[in-house]
Amino acid sequence: MIRVEDLQKHFGSLHVLKGIDLEVQKGEVLVIIGPSGSGKSTLLRCINLLIEPDGGRVLLEGVQVNRPEIKREWVREQVGMVFQSFNLFTHLTALQNVTLGPIRVLEEDPEKAAVRGRALLSRVGLGDKADAYPAQLSGGQQQRVAIARALAMNPKAMLFDEPTSALDPEYIREVLDVMALLARDGMTMIVVTHEMGFASNVARRILFIDAGKIIEEGAPEEIFHSPREERTRAFVSKILR
Amino acid sequence: MATTVGSAIRRSFDRGLTLKTLQRAAEMAVGAILFIVILEVVLHFNVLDSTLWSLYGPYYFLTGIVGTLYYLAIIIPISVVVGFAVGWARLSRLRVLTWPLSVYVDFFRGMPPIIIVIFASLLGPSLIPARFHSEDLGILMAAFALALHSGAYQSEIFRAGFMSVPRGQLEAAQSLGMTRGQAMQFVVLPQALRLSVPPLANELAVVIKDTSLLAIIGSLDLFGLSNIFSQQSVFGSNQLWWVFVVWTAVALVYFVMTFSVTEVLNWIDRRYHVKGLEAISV
Repeated sequence: MIRVEDLQKHFGSLHVLKGIDLEVQKGEVLVIIGPSGSGKSTLLRCINLLIEPDGGRVLLEGVQVNRPEIKREWVREQVGMVFQSFNLFTHLTALQNVTLGPIRVLEEDPEKAAVRGRALLSRVGLGDKADAYPAQLSGGQQQRVAIARALAMNPKAMLFDEPTSALDPEYIREVLDVMALLARDGMTMIVVTHEMGFASNVARRILFIDAGKIIEEGAPEEIFHSPREERTRAFVSKILR
Repeated sequence: MATTVGSAIRRSFDRGLTLKTLQRAAEMAVGAILFIVILEVVLHFNVLDSTLWSLYGPYYFLTGIVGTLYYLAIIIPISVVVGFAVGWARLSRLRVLTWPLSVYVDFFRGMPPIIIVIFASLLGPSLIPARFHSEDLGILMAAFALALHSGAYQSEIFRAGFMSVPRGQLEAAQSLGMTRGQAMQFVVLPQALRLSVPPLANELAVVIKDTSLLAIIGSLDLFGLSNIFSQQSVFGSNQLWWVFVVWTAVALVYFVMTFSVTEVLNWIDRRYHVKGLEAISV
């Protein structure tokens, strides 16, 4: 489904991604962990081309998408993204947030989009919040609206950039539950998170990234309990504490 | 349930604002009437003196109002368009674009508008080919310069509006597959404009009164014509106390113009009010 080959990214003199290779199968959930500043967010943004990679290839269903002739909008339409800070459109209601993409990008009929939007909000447990504005919702509710907003585009895969790290502890559970449900329904997902419970239960593989390189890759069991690399062990011991 | 409570709160919030506006207007009216009564009773000025109004009313007063509205019709649209365009363009990363624009803003903000009016009326016409010259070209150029002056202020208002929309909003819109243009139109602009409305009302209130500066180069606006009339009262055959009546009437007209424009913008502000976003309410 998604393949990344020798991905390179510089910000000025900073070498952020130093040759990343990864592959995610259809319906698979890949969790990425790593210290802050290791390039996790940049990697996700390179996959849906919110950030343009300097080198390497990004493939979506076998098609290289980081070529000049491929429309960036077309790529992003198919790969949904959920942000750490939710980024809900503050001037729109929950329902309008969900339907804006379908109406403006997919040119869906507004009535149909609204029906579908309400169904999606119900799916993330917010059927009764359709007319609420983001500022009236809790963090957990906002993030679930953001997930519904991404789902409304019928994406082939979803990227989650630390979806729970801006949340108060009591709201983390509800967001992770929605994500686990999505995974169970067969959504292809790449998730940057430090939620070990989620990673162990939902992910098949975990990738540990440090300083722009993949240090280790393996099943949750291996990474958390018997990592091969010293750096992985040091990091895991910090977040397990 | 929660939504009905929310909309009830919103309705009462709207009603509260409308009531406030009405209350303010009523207070103003009472103040104006009191002022007139004081003039009449204490100082024995006859505000509705028929000789005064037959001399002042039809020509000086009404023509003056039309003149002022005419200059406003030139200045406000140009200044808003220029201000918006410059405010947006200054966000660009291209120094060749932003540098001249920041020079423009600094220049017009730093110049007293009265000097801008004088210079524009003297030097402006030479920028226009001779066959387009007309008698009031100098005044038109001055009005245009006033529009540029206000545009400089407004560009900062719009720029601040744009800059207060977090970057994540644009990113989220683009992550849905929107083009940059769509993201601007549907996500960034509505939020930026909402934040620009209150300071814009402020600036337009200033612009309306600044049109009176055109009088020093001989424009036939409300201030200019009333000034001519009151000169006749001071130095000519008219009665001296007419001066007070004339300027009271002029002030009232400027007040009504300013109040109407700011109320329209207040209405827009209320219309685009977002629930839950009021950071502080007293």
